[in-house]
Amino acid sequence: MQWSHNMRFFQSYAMKKQLWIIVVIIIAAILPTIIGAFWINVAVEILIMGLFAVSFNMIFGYMGQLSFGHAAFYGVGAYTVGLLMAKLSIPFSLSLIAAMLSAGAFALIIGYFCIRLTGIYFAILTLSFGQLIYYIVFEWYSFTGGDNGLQGIAAPHLLSSVTAYYYFTLVIVIAALIVMWYISRSPFGYTMRAIRDNANRTRFLGINVKRYMLINFVIAGAFAGLAGGLWGPFNQSISPDLLNWTESGIPVFMTVIGGSASFLGPMVGSIIYTFLNAFVTGFTQYWPLIIGIVIMLIILFSPGGIQGLIDKWYKHSDSSDENIEL
Amino acid sequence: METGGRNSGSKSEREEITGESMDFSLIFSQFLSGLSRGAMLFLIASGLSLIFGVMNILNFAHAALWLVGAYLAYTFWNLLQPYGFSLWVSIPLAAVALSAIGWAIERVLIRRIYNRTLSEQLVFTFAMILVIDNLIKIIWGVQDKAIVRPSIVASPVFIFGAPLDSYFIFVIFTGAVVAIGLWWFLSKTKYGHIIKAAVFSREMVSALGIPVPKIYTWVFVLGIFLAGLAGGVQAPIGSITLGMDNAVIIQAFIVVVIGGFGSLLGTLVGSIIVGEIYAFSILFWPDGAMILIFVVAAIMLIIRPWGLFGTPMRT
Amino acid sequence: MNMTDILKVEHLCKSFGGIMATQDVSYSMKSGEFSAIVGPNGAGKTTFFHLISGYHRADSGSVWYKEKNITKWPPHKIARLGVTRCFQVSNNYPMLTTYENVRQAVLTQKKRTLNLFTPAKNLAVEETLNILDMVGISDNANTMAGNLSQGDKKILEIAMALGSKPELLYLDEPTAGMSSDETYKTMELIKRLNEQMGVTILFTEHDMPVVFGYAHRLTVLHQGAIIADGIPEEVRSDKMVQKVYLGEEE
Repeated sequence: MQWSHNMRFFQSYAMKKQLWIIVVIIIAAILPTIIGAFWINVAVEILIMGLFAVSFNMIFGYMGQLSFGHAAFYGVGAYTVGLLMAKLSIPFSLSLIAAMLSAGAFALIIGYFCIRLTGIYFAILTLSFGQLIYYIVFEWYSFTGGDNGLQGIAAPHLLSSVTAYYYFTLVIVIAALIVMWYISRSPFGYTMRAIRDNANRTRFLGINVKRYMLINFVIAGAFAGLAGGLWGPFNQSISPDLLNWTESGIPVFMTVIGGSASFLGPMVGSIIYTFLNAFVTGFTQYWPLIIGIVIMLIILFSPGGIQGLIDKWYKHSDSSDENIEL
Repeated sequence: METGGRNSGSKSEREEITGESMDFSLIFSQFLSGLSRGAMLFLIASGLSLIFGVMNILNFAHAALWLVGAYLAYTFWNLLQPYGFSLWVSIPLAAVALSAIGWAIERVLIRRIYNRTLSEQLVFTFAMILVIDNLIKIIWGVQDKAIVRPSIVASPVFIFGAPLDSYFIFVIFTGAVVAIGLWWFLSKTKYGHIIKAAVFSREMVSALGIPVPKIYTWVFVLGIFLAGLAGGVQAPIGSITLGMDNAVIIQAFIVVVIGGFGSLLGTLVGSIIVGEIYAFSILFWPDGAMILIFVVAAIMLIIRPWGLFGTPMRT
Repeated sequence: MNMTDILKVEHLCKSFGGIMATQDVSYSMKSGEFSAIVGPNGAGKTTFFHLISGYHRADSGSVWYKEKNITKWPPHKIARLGVTRCFQVSNNYPMLTTYENVRQAVLTQKKRTLNLFTPAKNLAVEETLNILDMVGISDNANTMAGNLSQGDKKILEIAMALGSKPELLYLDEPTAGMSSDETYKTMELIKRLNEQMGVTILFTEHDMPVVFGYAHRLTVLHQGAIIADGIPEEVRSDKMVQKVYLGEEE
């Protein structure tokens, strides 16, 4: 893009970001040798919830719709792994694939209806479907264990140590992020941004908007399912709470904290949210109060989240070569 | 009102019912219990719907404030116990006290998010839930609170042979009074006309020289007053527990969805529908009450997203 | 039906809440035409565009494109046939850059939008840059479309339309809000599209000198019905037209 008069400026900006990512990956790789078991557990949680939040942002940041039922897919993924492993002794790796497929299938059915609506109606319909699935899981004792949930979901022997599970999760999450990153930069990803900015115009260009929204919804659901699938063996038990609307709020919060306008914003949000949670819960019971105030302050004073602050710091021009940066 | 799901007290209710034949009195008693549930939902959802209709803000924290109202009623009742009529005084006191809180919240917080995107408003009021629920825990502790009812509403009454918690009559009565009062206020008074005009077009109201921010403040206060009243009325039903608001806010959303955003009549009809679905599904499919409610809500959103009495303009 | 008709509209009717916005309109265009539709505000021009581009569905009557009955087709299917529409109020992607806006049109036209894994920035580079160059907004390639000036937004509309490689192009007031200099440039560009690339063009316009300066054919809508249709000079002298429309303007 030689015609960009800001080219050099942006190259250095992009370079800096890439450098940061490499640094972060190196730190992530050596992390278990530095920190103790408690914080490794926190790190696993950061990765899983971060994947969940990034998948949520495919709907929120890229498609422009606020889903309040994303935990349904996360929970379906968790229950798929839990049920397959506990009841049928299916290997973990296959169960994870099944988690993506089943969450994707649920997203296909739910999304079929939800993508017909936008704005507040989309938010409430996703919320309603999420609660519908939550109550089904909650009440269906014979299949899901009802409000007792499922216990004794053990990771395979190879991954039984928290360090091993950390590395496994790290690899899966990075792989999933790379796939989603590619999708976000692809023509499909840009079509989602186009739909977000102006669905009607996109229709008149020749795009079947609903179909594209549905595909995106399914992709987002499948990755939420993958995140949920990673959660079960990590936590060794799952409960219907994973599907409740309050759980759906967590990726929303993470995305708000990190910033929805950047691909890794929700992951940054997960780092801050999960770390703060682990830290604050250590000495007070006022975690919800603190995080609630943090979210409110961010919305009032820095609507772009942390990433928005960083971007503001770096660029003082209105132009960019990629709309949603790393 | 039982809050459904985990907090559901429906198990014991169910055991009571099974074994009996399904005669008229049973159906009638379920109808009345559904009606009282609907009345409670109406008290909560009418404020929610009013605030949304006028201010275009869907207040996620509405039920959290409702719960504050219930705890406030408990506190007032506790303080007034030595005197007579403590319950009947503490309910309106709770409503007034919560209104003051609502006024402060509007002035300090809600005012700042009027011009924000829908998502920001939703997430903001969602975050308010966390703060409010945690503050409740700090102030009132984790133990459940129960009000000892005065003898007049302590034992069940029989209507056409159907047993009914006598307090439910008071709940239904309050719901009816508020419905009529709101209808009278909105359609017969000057301020009501202004509010209805604001639902229709903010620009028009502001063009008439009426200060819109002031209307917003007072509509929010009115909505929160209703939440406080609902909380106070709720207080003597079962016990007051933390997290009770979680299921209620979603049900209030469902009511508003079914009835239509910004429509008082719709909110009333939606409340009764949800209350009755809940009451009757306990007879036929005890575990499925909440499932059924969400199925109805989803169907409504799919075929008629603006609800029974709403208009399809706002998104 | 005549083989050379690219667009044919028969007895099209549409009403909104009892008000007839389009009344029994029959209209046809031959490939390569450069035609204008005029009429006072509320004459039904935009509704007519909505009907033939699939945004609204007609109450009765039919719309044909190259012998295909497209009356009940949704906008995206009509667009895929090569029928493109520019909007009166500029209608772009405010949070994407000018370059990305145009590229979106190009990628859609090339049916590449279901591609999930190739970075978009490697695709359609040349086509997109050519279009930006052609309409003269290369300097603003990296500007967010939402931050463009009103005139540049209208030019972006046309650039996006070009990205769709239209055979038939509807332009709803392409020069509204432009300076006379911008208007001239824009109309010359549209003329080039018609003459050099063979794009059939149907536009609405308020500015009468523009209409008479460019359109080969003029159709007048009044209260949703066609009251005159022919070469501009003919229509100009039509008594009825002078009475309902031109008389008011001049």
